[in-house]
Amino acid sequence: MGERVTITIDGKEYQVPAGITLTRAAEMVGIDIPIFCDHPRLEPVGACRQCLVEIETPRGTRLTTACTTPVSDGLVVHYNSPRAKAAREATLEFILAHHPLDCPICDKGGECPLQDQAMKHGPAESHFIEEKTHKNKRHPLSDLIMLDQERCVVCWRCIRYLEEWEFKPQLGLYHRGGETVIDTHPNRPLAAKTSGNIIDICPVGALTNRVARFQYRPWSWGPPSRTLEPVPTVCVHCSLGCNLQVDVRTHRVRRIKARENSAVNDMWICDKGRFAQGFFHSEERIRQPLVRENGELRPATWDEALQRVVDGLYRWAQENPEAVGAMGSPKVGNEANYLLQKFFRLMVDTNNIDHRWGGDVLADPRGLSAVEAIHQADVIVLVGVDLAEEMPVFANFYKRAVRRNNAQAFVIHPRRTEDADFGTYIPVLPGSEALLLNALMALMVDQEPFAAQTRRLPGGRDFVTWVKEHRPEDISALVGVSQETLEALARTLAEAQRPLVLYGPDVVRGFQAEANRAALDNLELLLGKDRVAYIAPDANSVGARDMGVLPHRLPGHQDVTDAEVRERFRRYWGSEVPEEAGLTYQGMLEAAADGRLKALFVMGADPADEGPWAEEALKALDVLVVQDVFMTRTALLADVVLPASTYAESDATFTNVERRVQRAPRAFRPERDSRPDWAILVDLAKRWPIREAGESKRKGRKGKRARRSPQARWNYTRPQDVLREIARVVPQYEGLTWDALGEGGRQWPTDRVARPRRFVQVTPRFQAADPEYPYYLVAERFLFDHTKMTRTTEELHHVLEPAVVRMHPEDIYDLGIQEGSTVEVVSRHASVALPVQADERVQRGTVAIAYSLPGSPAEALMGPEGPGVMVAVRTTGPAPRVVNILD
Amino acid sequence: MPLSEDVVQKIHRLMARYPQPRSALGPALHLVQREVGWISPEVEEEIAAIFHLTPAEVHAFVGFYTMYYKSPKGVYHLEMCTNVSCKLRGADEVAQRLFQTLGVKEWGETTPDGLFTVNETECLGSCGTGPVMMVRKRGQELPRYYEKLTPERVEQIVEELKAQVDEPLPVEPDPMGPAHFGGMEPKVLLARVNKPDSHRIDTYLADGGYEALRKALSMTPEEVIEEVKASGLRGRGGAGFPAGVKWSFVPKDVFPRYLVCNADESEPGTFKDRMLMEYDPHQVIEGIIIASYAIQAEKAFIYIRGEYGFPYARLTQAVQEAYEKGFLGENILGSGYSLDIIVHRGAGAYICGEETALLNSLEGRRGHPRLKPPFPAAVGVYGKPTIINNVETLSNVPHIIKHGAQWYRQFGTEKSPGFRLFGVSGEVRKPGLYELPHGVTLRELIYDYAGGTLDDRPIKAIIPGGLSMPMLTADKLDTPLDFESVQAAGSLLGSAGVIVICEGTSLIDVMERTIGFYREESCGKCTPCREGSAWLEKIIKRIKNGQGRKEDLDEIMRLSSFIEQQTFCPFGPASVWGIRSAITHFREELEAYIEQTNPSGEVPPVPVRPIYRPDVGEPAKERV
Repeated sequence: MGERVTITIDGKEYQVPAGITLTRAAEMVGIDIPIFCDHPRLEPVGACRQCLVEIETPRGTRLTTACTTPVSDGLVVHYNSPRAKAAREATLEFILAHHPLDCPICDKGGECPLQDQAMKHGPAESHFIEEKTHKNKRHPLSDLIMLDQERCVVCWRCIRYLEEWEFKPQLGLYHRGGETVIDTHPNRPLAAKTSGNIIDICPVGALTNRVARFQYRPWSWGPPSRTLEPVPTVCVHCSLGCNLQVDVRTHRVRRIKARENSAVNDMWICDKGRFAQGFFHSEERIRQPLVRENGELRPATWDEALQRVVDGLYRWAQENPEAVGAMGSPKVGNEANYLLQKFFRLMVDTNNIDHRWGGDVLADPRGLSAVEAIHQADVIVLVGVDLAEEMPVFANFYKRAVRRNNAQAFVIHPRRTEDADFGTYIPVLPGSEALLLNALMALMVDQEPFAAQTRRLPGGRDFVTWVKEHRPEDISALVGVSQETLEALARTLAEAQRPLVLYGPDVVRGFQAEANRAALDNLELLLGKDRVAYIAPDANSVGARDMGVLPHRLPGHQDVTDAEVRERFRRYWGSEVPEEAGLTYQGMLEAAADGRLKALFVMGADPADEGPWAEEALKALDVLVVQDVFMTRTALLADVVLPASTYAESDATFTNVERRVQRAPRAFRPERDSRPDWAILVDLAKRWPIREAGESKRKGRKGKRARRSPQARWNYTRPQDVLREIARVVPQYEGLTWDALGEGGRQWPTDRVARPRRFVQVTPRFQAADPEYPYYLVAERFLFDHTKMTRTTEELHHVLEPAVVRMHPEDIYDLGIQEGSTVEVVSRHASVALPVQADERVQRGTVAIAYSLPGSPAEALMGPEGPGVMVAVRTTGPAPRVVNILD
Repeated sequence: MPLSEDVVQKIHRLMARYPQPRSALGPALHLVQREVGWISPEVEEEIAAIFHLTPAEVHAFVGFYTMYYKSPKGVYHLEMCTNVSCKLRGADEVAQRLFQTLGVKEWGETTPDGLFTVNETECLGSCGTGPVMMVRKRGQELPRYYEKLTPERVEQIVEELKAQVDEPLPVEPDPMGPAHFGGMEPKVLLARVNKPDSHRIDTYLADGGYEALRKALSMTPEEVIEEVKASGLRGRGGAGFPAGVKWSFVPKDVFPRYLVCNADESEPGTFKDRMLMEYDPHQVIEGIIIASYAIQAEKAFIYIRGEYGFPYARLTQAVQEAYEKGFLGENILGSGYSLDIIVHRGAGAYICGEETALLNSLEGRRGHPRLKPPFPAAVGVYGKPTIINNVETLSNVPHIIKHGAQWYRQFGTEKSPGFRLFGVSGEVRKPGLYELPHGVTLRELIYDYAGGTLDDRPIKAIIPGGLSMPMLTADKLDTPLDFESVQAAGSLLGSAGVIVICEGTSLIDVMERTIGFYREESCGKCTPCREGSAWLEKIIKRIKNGQGRKEDLDEIMRLSSFIEQQTFCPFGPASVWGIRSAITHFREELEAYIEQTNPSGEVPPVPVRPIYRPDVGEPAKERV
């Protein structure tokens, strides 16, 4: 805590931090000065005049707004003086004069600062006997947000939020005087990724949530079944793990709003987190278990379905455990993921366990040291990560770091992302990141403090010699980045006090994964511990890894091939752990294709979406079980479909990008016949045939005996029981309990996993130009993708990313076609037909297609190759083999 | 509608002139409006793209200023001032005749032939030559004033405009020539205004112009500031802050610094700066150069209200001449000192006369006042130290430098040194501008110079410093017009625009027009002003329409006292002083009016119109 000053409020002295405003200081000492325009996260404007107090000055006392008064030593404030009270009363009278007072149908009623302040500070009786000025009561700012201009008190909070946090001034004041209204440009509805936060900070009912509008009353009343219950939970759309409040009444989600957690999301959430609430109670959810009979899926009882699963898996477990695999989910909580890997490791006896972007991605398990790091960074380098689309709230932190803390930003990405507008854009081709980073490090290693690092750390001397062979001028020719830019970046990093480099999953998968990861690790050695961080894509990507949903890692990132480790787990679990690393997510699909894998259990994943090759592979399986909320493409192929509940229907924990384990408690009872993932797994385990004592799990392998039946360890009655075991088994989670997590979650420390300690040399591969496939494919994540999670909310349909292929306008011109015409994009793996859209943010020689479009064209084109796939764009020729883009 | 390449290039040139390109937003919109007639949402989007702003930012800017058209207008846009000074000279009758001539029924209408659109407007700075009508012609950027209107003349004007529809509209006012003026002899500020070609640099030089600049450049900047401090020159914009003291507030070692000449003369009853700019623009420019030198600014702005077309034309011509003669630009007169002046047009917003609102407007933003502190002298335009002085204040500077502070102090009083341009308007025989030393009495000004009242009617009330200042009653006629004496008499000298109201003129009419002005011009930023001015106007209109209650007068006093104390900027007090003083001094008359028009004291029922069903009028979700 910095300097403190003494101020006097109504004759009482208080010690408060210097430099803050009087409203903040008063809050700290328990005096709630009423405010409308003032907000703890926004710059003061002094507009509403609600916080008037008297202060003493050398020229007598003076009325002034507390929100614009910085506290200084000796400040004497009269808050409850007659003049100050009368002034605040008068302001409220002015505000209420033209306010419509339609509280009975106002969504804000019951949690409305205007109501509260009218109670506490309002005039006794209105003197207003004129006709109220009428304005537009239903003025849509977008499909998502409604503005009632009559209720609006013109506090500008919404305008300022968009300016100060999103840096997208899309709202403004229009007209002036009494006619002043908030509005968008008439042709431009509000389109910011976190626009919904203006609903939360609106101090009246002027801004309302169009998805939730009229679905709830904020106050609790009546018998418990009719009470609106606020459930403190987390968001599952990205790895930031924003804290949410999900309001539930009669077992239906009524509204989602942000919940404050200063360490994670502050008080903000993105529009997907807020508005995508349709999936909870969607009609499209799987209603009951399904089993395949005569080639068709038909409804079944849980009993029948679970037995079919056990029978199918057991048969192959007996035959050949290596022919069985399981896919977990980075979108499902820790408990179910933990049980999934435990089930398959112990019951089935296989390490064929992974999740999408799990074992195939060379991720650093540490993730980000802390969200706070972005606030403190003075230089930020983004490598292959698009914060604005992938983590909008974190993106706002990034933008503020640049605009408010004067951090310098460099964005290395195949596409000129929105993030790049806030810094220097450095283009890179997919898969060329290591080339660029090595060229950068070649410039860095001679500069201090980096030279010292290479002298100090093992492998440094050889590294310097090696990395200097990567000449920047060669790279410049390849990726179109100027040497000056790289030199500037190297210089900036040398001067940086707190640099931060963030990279995404596409950088560390595919043909260049090893070289890219090595380059990033070397960069961390140069910059310092935790200065380079992996940004995981999904809400529980970090947790799924922690839980050991990986083919080569047991829970807690412990090497499955290490006998000591396995022995420890044998003691924990009471059963042998298979000793060889299993197949990755992609490896399992490839094994299915060539007949090595026969049975696959898929929890919360949709591998069929990886493209035609994956779909074919899944069709070749003997047993395919899908446990999911929706009928995915994979579920359509399954032999058994188990209807799972959403995360909000059961207690669970999620681990976010900064290794913060957070609670997601049950908010409502499971929909229809669905069951929570963890409970389904426990049931499967209990149904698993009990092996006779002495019988080895594996055929033909002798001498290893289970001490006792593994079923004995499956007596979990609640997810918290699973968490207790996790806390015992996973060293990083030691001591964690549901209660200890509290509502803010707990981080596990970065030093509980390995980190790079010596310089390594992995020579990047050059991708030879292929005249047949001249373009690079750039696949990108977008916030408003076409997954069921978004599509089940009708209001979001207009903001979904369009199914197009985006190309540089000059490339389109060179092809001799018009924007909007359909082209065929062809790779070695698939061919898709999409309309072409001109986009100057796309580099020449690349084509950009979003992930998770209907029919998954990007995934199909990539096939098993991953980033760096080359494609051709055809405008004529034979009829394309078109992937069905309607699912 | 795509803008022409020519306009886009012009906009880019404008942007390049300013330290921050966004400042060119206002001027660019004037240019575009000339080109395409009005600022449609599509035009806003194009402008936004040029300026790298969001369309919403441009939309918000356009929405603040009245001179940007949000809908198409007729070939001629006729805007009549109906504010108090013009009203007292018969603006209502002129307006009535205008309506008859054009066959329109209300303000805002366009004639069926698309030739004329009529609007009511606020004070145009023509109070001494009112009633006035501003005419803008489609395809032309600068408006023309038609002054000293009579019903007969307005009929003729309509015919003339119809006849000249294919010709460009001249910018020179009709009738041409300075307004009536007078005062002390010899005059100082107005000494040259009646000379032929007084606005040209050759005549100015022949009269000894720019000699003060030569002298100033031979002094150090500190010496210039000291001289102005010693003169006691006080700001002529309204607040009366000592100019030299203000200059000395510029923090050391912070550069660049800017000087802004506040030429946003919009205070009803005030029309002095206009004459200085029209008929002696070099005097202002010389003052600007000296002041800029004193504070070591290398860029100065003249923020001139958008309605002032002719003064703008004269000023830009004069600035051009000054560049050509080496008084502006690089290395002025070999001194090593350089200065650029940008003449920046506003676009119709009274509040932009408030210095911090002016700065926002100059930066290409809505004219909302800024938080003080920091004061502009420390953190002004573009976040840099900025001195803002009124046109008349700066016009004094060359004379102070030329003749010395002691010479200056022989005029006026100890605390209000110097001479002043008193604008007299309203019900007097010779409305006009009178240059007199501070301390002249109201009686002398009105009776000795302005020829006494119309028809020798007794004076009822005098507004001594522009419409924002409290009214004085006839018993205060012997008040000397200096800052201190007027304050002691219960008002403020303000901008020295003296409005005379005689017996027989209805005060409720004056009050209604006064509050209407402030309701219209409130920037909308702070609650008491935004909500309060609208509320007060509703009460006063109700009284005027015969549904008043006596307690309404108390209610006005109660509400206005809060507005007076609680607003963000001085606009709030200014908006209520007039009506408060009217009630204080003329309560009997007002009560009698209420008694006569609404003897029962009944008020109309309060229309309550709540909606208690959520789905009423709920629009479809898609907003395409």
